[in-house]
Amino acid sequence: MSDPIAGADGRDFLPPACQTACPVGTDVPSYAAFVWEGRFDQAIEAITATNPFSAICGRVCDAPCECACRRGAADGAVAIRGLKRFVLDRLGASYRLPPVPVTRSETIGIVGAGPAGLTAAHDLARAGFRVDVYEATDRPGGMMVWGIPRFRLPEGVIAQDIDRLLAHCPGITLHANQALGRDFTLADLKSRHDAVLLAIGLSKGKPLGIPGDGLAGVVDGVSLLARVNRGERPQLPSSVVVVGGGDVAMDAARTARRMPGVESVRIVYRRTLEELPARGDEVQGALAEGIEFVCQVQPVAVAAEGEGGLTLHCVKTEPGEREGDGRRRPQPVPGSEHALSAGLVIAAVGQEAHNAELAGLRLLNGGRVTADASSLRTADPKVLAAGDGAFGGSSIVEAMHQGHKAAYTIGAMLDGCADPAPYRTPYRNRRVAVAQAPAWESTPRQEAAFRGLGTDPSTFTEVEATFDEETARREASRCFRCDAETGSANTSLRAREGVMAMAHTPTGDAAAQSMLLRRRLGAARPVRRQDLAATLDDLLFLPANLTRLVIDPYREQCGTAIRLGGAVALGTPFIVSGFDGAPESLRAALGRALAEAGSAYLGRQALGEAPWLQIVGADDTPAPAASLWIFAQADRAAAAKGKGRPVGLLASADTLNDTIEAAVECAADLILIDAAGASVDPRAELTHPPAISLLKDTVDRLLRHRRLGAIDLVFHGGVRTGSDGAKLIALGASAVALGVAAHIAAGTRLEDANPFADGAQPADASAAAVASLIRALTAEASMMARCCGKTKLHNLEPEDLRALSVAASVATGVPLPGRGVTGDPAAPTGAPVAGNAGGIAAELRI
Amino acid sequence: MVAIDLAVTPVREANQRIRALAAEGHDIDILNPDARHHIGVGLVTPTSVRIHGSAGYFCAGLSDGARFEVDNNVGWAVGDNMHRGSVVVGGNASAIAGVAIRGAEIVIRGNMGSRAGQVMKAGTLCCAGNASFLAGYMMYGGRIIILGDSGERVGEDMTGGTIYVAGRIVSLGADARETDLPAQERLEILEFLDRYGISFHGSLSRIENAGTKLRYGTPEPRSRPQPYDRGDEGGAATGYWNRRVREDIAIKAQIGRYRIRGYGASKPMPDFGDIDFARDVEKGLAHPDPLAAVSLETTVGSRSGAKPLGLSMPVMIAPMSYGALSRSMKIALAVASRLSGVAENTGEGGMLDRQREEADQLIYQCLSGRLGWNVHNMQRADAIEFYASQGAKPGLGGQLMAKKVTPDLAAMRGIPQGIDLRSPSRHPDVLGADDLVIKIEEFREATAYRLPIGLKMGAGRVQHDIKIAYKDGFDYVALDGVQGGTGAASTEVLENVGIPTLAAIQEAMDGLKEIDAGNDMDIVLMGGIKDGVDVVKALALGARACAMGTSLLIAAGCIACMQCHVGACPVGIATQDPDHEQRLEVRTAAEKIHRYLETVRWQIAALTLGLGHTDVRQLGRSDLVALTPEAAALTGLPYVPKRAATAA
Repeated sequence: MSDPIAGADGRDFLPPACQTACPVGTDVPSYAAFVWEGRFDQAIEAITATNPFSAICGRVCDAPCECACRRGAADGAVAIRGLKRFVLDRLGASYRLPPVPVTRSETIGIVGAGPAGLTAAHDLARAGFRVDVYEATDRPGGMMVWGIPRFRLPEGVIAQDIDRLLAHCPGITLHANQALGRDFTLADLKSRHDAVLLAIGLSKGKPLGIPGDGLAGVVDGVSLLARVNRGERPQLPSSVVVVGGGDVAMDAARTARRMPGVESVRIVYRRTLEELPARGDEVQGALAEGIEFVCQVQPVAVAAEGEGGLTLHCVKTEPGEREGDGRRRPQPVPGSEHALSAGLVIAAVGQEAHNAELAGLRLLNGGRVTADASSLRTADPKVLAAGDGAFGGSSIVEAMHQGHKAAYTIGAMLDGCADPAPYRTPYRNRRVAVAQAPAWESTPRQEAAFRGLGTDPSTFTEVEATFDEETARREASRCFRCDAETGSANTSLRAREGVMAMAHTPTGDAAAQSMLLRRRLGAARPVRRQDLAATLDDLLFLPANLTRLVIDPYREQCGTAIRLGGAVALGTPFIVSGFDGAPESLRAALGRALAEAGSAYLGRQALGEAPWLQIVGADDTPAPAASLWIFAQADRAAAAKGKGRPVGLLASADTLNDTIEAAVECAADLILIDAAGASVDPRAELTHPPAISLLKDTVDRLLRHRRLGAIDLVFHGGVRTGSDGAKLIALGASAVALGVAAHIAAGTRLEDANPFADGAQPADASAAAVASLIRALTAEASMMARCCGKTKLHNLEPEDLRALSVAASVATGVPLPGRGVTGDPAAPTGAPVAGNAGGIAAELRI
Repeated sequence: MVAIDLAVTPVREANQRIRALAAEGHDIDILNPDARHHIGVGLVTPTSVRIHGSAGYFCAGLSDGARFEVDNNVGWAVGDNMHRGSVVVGGNASAIAGVAIRGAEIVIRGNMGSRAGQVMKAGTLCCAGNASFLAGYMMYGGRIIILGDSGERVGEDMTGGTIYVAGRIVSLGADARETDLPAQERLEILEFLDRYGISFHGSLSRIENAGTKLRYGTPEPRSRPQPYDRGDEGGAATGYWNRRVREDIAIKAQIGRYRIRGYGASKPMPDFGDIDFARDVEKGLAHPDPLAAVSLETTVGSRSGAKPLGLSMPVMIAPMSYGALSRSMKIALAVASRLSGVAENTGEGGMLDRQREEADQLIYQCLSGRLGWNVHNMQRADAIEFYASQGAKPGLGGQLMAKKVTPDLAAMRGIPQGIDLRSPSRHPDVLGADDLVIKIEEFREATAYRLPIGLKMGAGRVQHDIKIAYKDGFDYVALDGVQGGTGAASTEVLENVGIPTLAAIQEAMDGLKEIDAGNDMDIVLMGGIKDGVDVVKALALGARACAMGTSLLIAAGCIACMQCHVGACPVGIATQDPDHEQRLEVRTAAEKIHRYLETVRWQIAALTLGLGHTDVRQLGRSDLVALTPEAAALTGLPYVPKRAATAA
């Protein structure tokens, strides 16, 4: 399990596998989600945040993220690189970051304008330093420019990233054609700058190291690629053999394949095809372009043959002993000597750093700049080294990581911190919602079109296409979103990752087990907040089992009919409020739909055909069309009694006690409890959870008056689900009024000044949606009753409930389960050893 | 012909003799049956059994291949789950005659009681007299022939099969309709009646499923879940009416019914994270080999004298069906259970041969729909579990959406394919605790009293339910809190019905203590248990063992998208779609689950040791404290709030 990381918003998260696999910590899931949402501007921000060469990476990154992608084990990793390419193709050319001013007096000299050097320059310039970058060739980019053929990485893509970087970082001065040892010395740099970074790369291809490797027809892959990238298209012999199995070998072979005169290209590799270190799609590309792989063959000598021809003497190999890296050393097979003919042999067996100045200063050893892998420091305290030139051939993204690390170390050094904490890749998560794509589980990995050699190979048509928008979005929706919190607090992201870590911990490895358990026990857990208001979420129903019979038949039918105020017969206790200001068309349609659904409307105005529970405001008169009158003033209610309609009183938190007393006094038929405010207003309902304690207070008071059951209670506020309604009914309500929920169903926008403005759905559709919601909620409430062993919804009672929190228990009078149910409800039986146990006991005395 | 006189031979012994005699090729006469229950239960050898008198409950139940004749009447559930063979009753039959039959022929020459043929899958139930109400209730297949009147609500909620009525159709049940009778079917019925010597010349009405309830209406839009927001992550308005709530309302407004998903309760509620160890456990963590220093071996279910399950640690695999899960996943679980020495559980829907081969110990579950339920699998199981309910959806039956009801699965369960399968909410033959006693006895008869019989129960009024379970004689109770997962259930039931696992174990222990039950009925606790830390806490509260379900799925690669009901599981775990199932590699999944279980083992050992014990059975309440007022109230553990910030 990864360590939790504090996010920018203060909440912690666990970086997903793709993000930790990325050397620059790219927030992959967020940008995938942004692509799905079509928010490409935010996607490009997420992509480029730690990656100044995003366009280049979109083409040629070796994408360790894809190897780590959990979907890889299922039906193929998400094509993360392809998504990056899509976003950069879409917005990269115009994407600019504001210039960063120079704010520091110190300057840094960087030798080498490859990915490591430029990334370090970028970070240091963003930190306010002036940076001078010295590049031996005529342009920046290093191996990105010279080592990767243009059919994989077109010129414009490289320029896009570098132009953006330089425009963003005006503090960077690029010195082209300036080579260390030729045009300046290290001593010069040290005198000019406060710190020096050597990011010289591995510019020289290694020879084959076998007899004849200096013959005229033997070249190294790096040199050939550099020539071709300079624009040359040399005529090559018809038969080419490339020796090696890495990315340079693939690029050299595919480049050769496109050169005039070449008819066949073979790659000779000493291990098996499966062990090729080159990236899989490069190998696939080479195969698709007709390049032949000759595996488990090792060249032992090159000899001249005829006119300009070469003979490559080889032996076959077989896997031998395991080496330190876990791979098996290829062993020559005795008697397997054979020869291959070729016009050209390209050596692609590794590269080395080459610099006479550094060699003279004893800073170069074994083809690399000597530096400490953790601190990047060389023997010279003012000089650091990073990138391939110091730590061997890697990838662009790994070189960028080194650049970030170097900038961090240099920045700390110049801030006077001689021994900074080790660099940690920054992880950030942008907390983007999970893609709601249909069939995201079934969508196979989308592959960009492969173009191969094209009609004229020497023109270097780009081998691969970019996703179109639809394909990109489809692919983005495949992301498992290992970063996102699950939909279950009970199976949180942390819990899920904890289980996965357990499933990956080796059996019998006590040290690993101990570490895992220690981490588990040491992890801070989110503690349930005690200051949260009691809500209906904190009540649960007790199901029927053995002590109460489960209901048969099994379907959801259950009696839900009520007769409000003894007279208003409804099929469901879910009624609707809050549409007094709605357009007439909606009111008429909704009225019809509610009547059909067996529901009613609660409001100051009638709503079409729906039974109308009229809230009679101070300026209103009781309407003959209403089925029931609800007054705010007790005297008006008393006056209306006996006038042909049941009479109710409206109570809110402020008026509750007086209203109940008045209702008892005037023998009212109904009390409407507005737990959201005072005027049955959905906007008030929107602002806070309902005060559910009002229902208990009402029930308690009516019980004291022996009027419970004689007066119907209608509850308004915060009802979202059928379960909410069922809980309120169990607690004593006869009916519940939907405000916000009905508006959400109707598609109105309560947050807007005019909720019914253009954009809402057609009236009939809105009305049908509200009626559908009523039906769904009624069915849900019935289901709760059935689970409790009841065949009538209104047979639910408080004893069918348990509270999940002390707050909910206090607000509703419902006990907690477990020990809360029996014995002394005043206190847990265990002797409290600390804290405010007395307080708990008091709270639980309910 | 050999006679067995029940006046002198107890039924348990008689049934053993019947099996032995049948194996030797004898036919059997039962004398003085005196309406005793369970006559012929568990007989799987073809033979003839003639009962000279009346038989009680479950006559010929859980049998296969024998021919029974009963001279007089039978009690309820004659021929329960009978596969092949026949029962001919000379007189009347009580309720649920032919319940859950899978091919047998049951002929009743007199009248039959209510709910005849309930959940039958195949075969023929024939009544020469009148039927009582709800004949063919929830039948999945086969035919019922009623030569008298049908009784009320005939064919209520039948899914498949056909009912023929010669007399008056008193009333049709929900989702049943009358159709024309094809001539061929009439000929087949006459042939059947002729075979049993019943003369019939009248006309017949034909009743079948009307097809209005087999599938949910408007499909629910597929969506991935929003994180649970209790309201403490933003302003109150965004909290209470958060995105998830709004989406939920909008979808219901579209489909007009409740929603369905997989997984268990998603809202935060008191759990094992709300209690902590009372002492520093460092000693256990630092120990070089806790596994060698702590005794973990556990038996479950020895109360009745049956051979208990022997577990290498107090852990089991929770019941999860082949159906909810793919075949590959079920096999992976079985393999992992063997590798880790714990018990696997079939869940609903039957036993796979490969699952049986791989699992050393396999619990076979009996659910209300009797789907995939049969005597042969009972007899090759290591324990039987009677499912009363489960934590995720107590009070309701199981659900399996149509996409998962493949031809193979439908055949195994004995149901029509491609229906949205909703299992009954309660067992046809258990209406109360007393019935349950007789039902369990039937199971014991069918398995010759060899196997532990457990009760699977979702947590509700546990303190009272557990006493009934004890008095009903179960060997163990598998107790499932509201956090328990499922393959499909109503979202509202998942969130709102049942009590937390932490409260459930406390109520169970308190309930058993009230009746001085001692420790002889084991409690296997489940519902949201995630690792060895949770297991140790559960054991300290009194559980004998714990079962894990969802955690094992996650160990195998589940990403918690909670869309198990859709049937398109992205990692091949909860699917029947071959394209998706192939994403799960059995061996790899089994290894991951095994490694997870071994980590659980190490954690149990290290923590037990850390708490100062050398045997998991020494764990007790004094090893725990509560971190929240709620946990203290639920468990009665001492409340130590200051440790909450850093607790496990």
